[in-house]
Amino acid sequence: MRFSAFVLVYGAIFVRLTLGAVPAKTESDQPPQTVRAILNSNCLSCHDQSTRTSGFSIESLESIMAGGARYRPAVKPGRPEESPLVQILRGQLKPRMPFNTATSLPEHDILAIEAWIRELKPDVDASAATTYWAFKKPVRHDPPQVQQREWVSNEIDNFILSKLEANGLSPAPEADRRTLIRRLYFNVIGLPPPPEEVAAFVKDPSPTAYENLLDRLLADPRYGERWARHWLDLARYADTNGYEGDRDYPHAWRYRDYVIDAFNHNKPYDKFIKEQIAGDEFFKVTSAAGYPPLPEPEQAVALTFLRLAPFTEPRGEESRDLLLSEMLTTVSSVFLGLTMACAKCHDHKYDPIPSRDFYRMKAFFATVRIPRAKIEVGGPLPADFYRPGDKERFDSKRAEYKKRLEVVKTDFEVFHKPLLERLAEVKRLEMVNLERRSDELALEIKENRNKQSRLIDLLREGQLEAAELDERNAELDRVLAEQTAELKKVTADLAKLRPEGKKGQGPAVTLQDLKKAVNDEADNTVGFEKKDQLFTQAEKDQFNQFTADILALERALERLEPMAMSLTNFDGPPYAPSVPTMYVLIRGQHDKPGEPVEPGFPSAITGHSKPAKIEIDRYKKHPSRNRRMALARWIASPENPLTARVMVNRLWQYNFGRGIVETASNFGKNGKRPSHPELLDWLALRFVDQEWSVRAIQRLILTSSTFRQSSFRVDQKAAEVDLENRLLWRFNRRRLEAEGIRDSILAISGRLNTEQGGPPIFPPLPTGLNQFTSAETRGAARWDTTRGADARKRSIYVYQRRSQPLPFLEVFDSPPLTLPCERREVSVTPLQALAMYDGEFVNTEAEFFAERVAKESGSESGAQIRRAFQLALARDPEPKEVEQARRLFSARPSQQEALVALCRVLFNSNELLYID
Amino acid sequence: MKQAKKDDELSLNPTWGQCTGFGPSAWSRRDFLSRSCNGLGALALAGLLAEELGATPSASSPLASRPQHFPRKAKHCIFLFMSGGVSQVDTFDYKPALEKFAGQRVPKMAGFSGEIEGFLSSPHRVIPSPWEFKRMGESGHYVSTLFPHLSECVDDLAFIFGIEVDNNNHGPATLHVNTGSQFPGHPSVGAWITYGLGSPNQNLPGYVVIQDPRGAPINGAGVRGSGFLPASYQGTLFRSVGTPILELEPPKRITRQQQREEFDLLNWLNRRHQQRRPDFTQLEARINAYELAFRMQSEAPEVVDLSKESEVTRKMYGLDNPVTEAFGRQCLLAKRLIQRGVRYSLVVHGVENGKTSWDDHGNIKGRLPRHVAEVDQPVAALLKDLKREGLLEETLVVWASEMGRTAFINDLDSDKPGRDHNQYGLVMWLAGGDVQGGSRVGETDEFGIGAVGESIHMRDVHATILDLLGLSDERLTYLHDGRFRRLTDIGGKILKEIIA
Repeated sequence: MRFSAFVLVYGAIFVRLTLGAVPAKTESDQPPQTVRAILNSNCLSCHDQSTRTSGFSIESLESIMAGGARYRPAVKPGRPEESPLVQILRGQLKPRMPFNTATSLPEHDILAIEAWIRELKPDVDASAATTYWAFKKPVRHDPPQVQQREWVSNEIDNFILSKLEANGLSPAPEADRRTLIRRLYFNVIGLPPPPEEVAAFVKDPSPTAYENLLDRLLADPRYGERWARHWLDLARYADTNGYEGDRDYPHAWRYRDYVIDAFNHNKPYDKFIKEQIAGDEFFKVTSAAGYPPLPEPEQAVALTFLRLAPFTEPRGEESRDLLLSEMLTTVSSVFLGLTMACAKCHDHKYDPIPSRDFYRMKAFFATVRIPRAKIEVGGPLPADFYRPGDKERFDSKRAEYKKRLEVVKTDFEVFHKPLLERLAEVKRLEMVNLERRSDELALEIKENRNKQSRLIDLLREGQLEAAELDERNAELDRVLAEQTAELKKVTADLAKLRPEGKKGQGPAVTLQDLKKAVNDEADNTVGFEKKDQLFTQAEKDQFNQFTADILALERALERLEPMAMSLTNFDGPPYAPSVPTMYVLIRGQHDKPGEPVEPGFPSAITGHSKPAKIEIDRYKKHPSRNRRMALARWIASPENPLTARVMVNRLWQYNFGRGIVETASNFGKNGKRPSHPELLDWLALRFVDQEWSVRAIQRLILTSSTFRQSSFRVDQKAAEVDLENRLLWRFNRRRLEAEGIRDSILAISGRLNTEQGGPPIFPPLPTGLNQFTSAETRGAARWDTTRGADARKRSIYVYQRRSQPLPFLEVFDSPPLTLPCERREVSVTPLQALAMYDGEFVNTEAEFFAERVAKESGSESGAQIRRAFQLALARDPEPKEVEQARRLFSARPSQQEALVALCRVLFNSNELLYID
Repeated sequence: MKQAKKDDELSLNPTWGQCTGFGPSAWSRRDFLSRSCNGLGALALAGLLAEELGATPSASSPLASRPQHFPRKAKHCIFLFMSGGVSQVDTFDYKPALEKFAGQRVPKMAGFSGEIEGFLSSPHRVIPSPWEFKRMGESGHYVSTLFPHLSECVDDLAFIFGIEVDNNNHGPATLHVNTGSQFPGHPSVGAWITYGLGSPNQNLPGYVVIQDPRGAPINGAGVRGSGFLPASYQGTLFRSVGTPILELEPPKRITRQQQREEFDLLNWLNRRHQQRRPDFTQLEARINAYELAFRMQSEAPEVVDLSKESEVTRKMYGLDNPVTEAFGRQCLLAKRLIQRGVRYSLVVHGVENGKTSWDDHGNIKGRLPRHVAEVDQPVAALLKDLKREGLLEETLVVWASEMGRTAFINDLDSDKPGRDHNQYGLVMWLAGGDVQGGSRVGETDEFGIGAVGESIHMRDVHATILDLLGLSDERLTYLHDGRFRRLTDIGGKILKEIIA
């Protein structure tokens, strides 16, 4: 019974959905590829545009809709069972199709056709371009009047409450203070509140206790560390290239610090946009002389945003097209909430973005020059350390590393010298052999040649028959060929041993040769049979340890160079060719140029396809400059209907768990419509009015009564009306993100290293993982494990290695690192339990947590239990909980062990992982 | 299950926001419907739901077994990936013309772009295969004599020739074959399949990766990741010796009994916490996850314990021979996982670029036999063993590499020539389930460079793999970055020629 009721309910939902849906563009209703394939392979021979048997053609949606002579419309949108096409395929109407076959189409083919028909909208409408809400500028709405006025803290609440009231609902009561402080701490700075802070806040009699706390947290530099992570997700930030060898991006981390600063200094969002897209184009050329100076270091660093795509071995034009296209699609989805990528190969299926507009937008990037350096990575540009204290800090770090490197290198020298000598000795013997052989061969060849030339004399002297001469001549030819070939090989081998080519010199054995010999990779050097016995395993291991240490230090030094992963424009004429013409690429293929295009903005938004105005300097000295700035200005303009909306929506999403528009990176037609459109517009306009101040919007959201609601509310009626809580009749409970979990554990154990900024850290990997990562043995993108306190900095500083992220973060849904990630997944897997319960990281910290508890609460077990709960969960334990915890204490041989066990359990508890 | 009142802005569509774990019942069945399917899929799935309740991923059991979209015999998949680019013309794609053209240029051919076009337009010479090919089995497929063992199984195999991948270099091509996209960040084939079908055994991961013990393939985790799908669907690394899963063992100094005590306290605390939040299903799921982990601790080590296998079996997989031992272990382990209900195993042979990779640019004659010798017997043993136990019926076995190689080389001098990359000539074979043994599809030109006639793209192979597991490429979708994504991105054609 339950079964059929279920079907009914779902049926009803879907019918309503279909009817309530937005009118769609014709294109999106076209049969999907599978249906197309089914129709093509079964019907096309009789029903294409030319054959049109019975007047019916399946070649276009229109012709299918028009139907054949007999049954007219072949398809009734939304109603497959009433559609003649299906009825004919099912044999319910005559003639059954496909014609003259023994059986009907396979059931799954018919089901696929039915599913497509069911999805067809009855009101197919192709022209909604300029009337689409997201492409129109936000409209100023007054906050609506509400009945329950005392609930309202600011305008946000008017919008939320009015909609609740319109639906006959009311908001939830305010959460208790302990819940609020925990929520606020995690939301704003991403860390748990210290127990003393909790106690003080709970008791704080001030009417503005909450606002005071909030202001303190928003001014805390840890706010930037928390919120930059959201932005880095969008920026597909990583420290490696993500392909073969997973090579290091040594300077990417400076962008991470730039983003942290941007939040901490409340950088106006319009400036934030311009710096990331066109940081090198801020300088205005005001004189005909000289060249534009280098960009400010901070702005050079900001441009890393455009460079963070996975990068692989360049393949000419193909790679360039991919890189520029990636820049454009990332810029569009991050700043504009537009899925431009869909328009690369064909007109956008859902939004009015013709393919041509993709290439007009791509043309803004036509003059980009990526510095060349290492293959597969691209190079850096100079950018001094500009953050206060950074220069001194990194200079001294560099000096320290240099010193260490020298020491290691000297030690290595001492260590490997005898090894080199041993190898040289083997090679010397080999060389002596080869030289002897070479001399022998030369002699033999000479003799044989002589023999050969004497043959003719013998013939003349009559000592030889002509036939015999031929025979002996051929034999000598054969022998000579063999000897010459061998000599060639011997000479080549000798040349390998003796690159200078000088006879009489000893073999040239390089460190490279030694490295190969140690790792049994001697394929390319001359075979010395006894190489296996040359070195002991201990010597081999030590050799490799030395090389690894040296590489690690060299990489650390490289990361501390005052450089940024930036980009610029190529020089224009006369030094370089003029700005290249950009073309529409047919079907997105880099080698199939179509019509030429000028840089321009999406016509669906501007309403025209005119080229954008590129402000070249008045002397026309630098025609390759200012394309990206033109794009950045247009995006960061108050006139742009998307930019402000998209950003306030993101802020809303990170605070509430879900955006007003749920598809935060897709404001197009295939995305979701806003739950509170007036509020979205109001916030967007407020954002611009407040000079794009992110913090102003944050404060507005976080001080609203909407944000302060309890998540515990159970309300039958609300659940019936709005199960998904889109109207916000309570707060959304949520799990901490991967970084929040790791950071909490460190904060609770008291071992979090609060040092901010700097090169990435490499916390120890789980034992055994090395076996799974070949990069470990190849020197590329190594994991140079950090020891000591440096390994315990916040998770935002962890090296983001695309080929193998830190498993602890990965298992808790850290982002893919390669595509913009607008929202984290939340998955539950047993591997999380293994990482949390068995993993070395949590177990180590559990011991320190226990130590801390003992130190802070004394030796009495009740006090210890209480302190452990306070630190981990920001509350006192209930009597029953104390009782249960005590059982652990009585079961363990020592109190210290019991306390560690309790700490481990608390780290694993759901209460720690979830925010109410 | 009523919806909010009809309203101009508030679409009535059930939301997918729940997937992030907010709200009353994160990852409810309806989230799955709305997030995982576009309209078409959603409707099809609604029908599917009618067939079986609880048939969609939820937070409480993301890996719960789910029915196929349509009936297919294969319920499991073993994906054997040879890292580096296997030469098709020395293995399964027999090209007698290479003898005739030995040392000469390939006659002019059109239709290639990118690197191959460049290779062909520069001086080059054809290198015939150093190995003989023989017709094998009843189907009479040509197989190189390098494969004495696998050639015995040829009637179970269906070959696909001339597959095109999107890039001519290892990194992107490896991603393409393993994830459907040459760009990183996309879910791997195994992730899609476990997302679609869940897994029958909850005490083991549903998607297991058995790497070459010598190291990772190119792109590392990229080939086994869950991309934009939830982490529940990412491949779990399984070692073929020792502790199979990272961090599987409880902390030192703690007995299993003590661990049980701790779990009991944890469970008690979590229950209490959950009872006060009864409408939030994720909490229940996490409680279950700990129990699963506890059981996994005892079940997983048993899987890798090959000591109980008979001498005959061990010999069959070549565990008695140092050349075949490593991959033999990998294959035997894959079979044991299938026996225990694991949905998908990715078995990798070869490490990045190096001696052990199939990337034979030089000295094909010397190198290729080494790679083949390592895998030939184990792979044949796997097929025979599965067949013997009746498991081949329900297991799809795929043999793949990231690209083919050229039958010619631009280096005119080398006395030890090899073969270069060729994105147009990949050969793969499938076996088991509804695969028509002894069949073939696709054909390459007489030099094995690319397809003649209708070309087969990797997405067609992916669509076919899904189909053979009873999954529709159209229906297996997931909303990401505003788009409904699927393994084949723009859809592939099913290669019906190799389906029984």
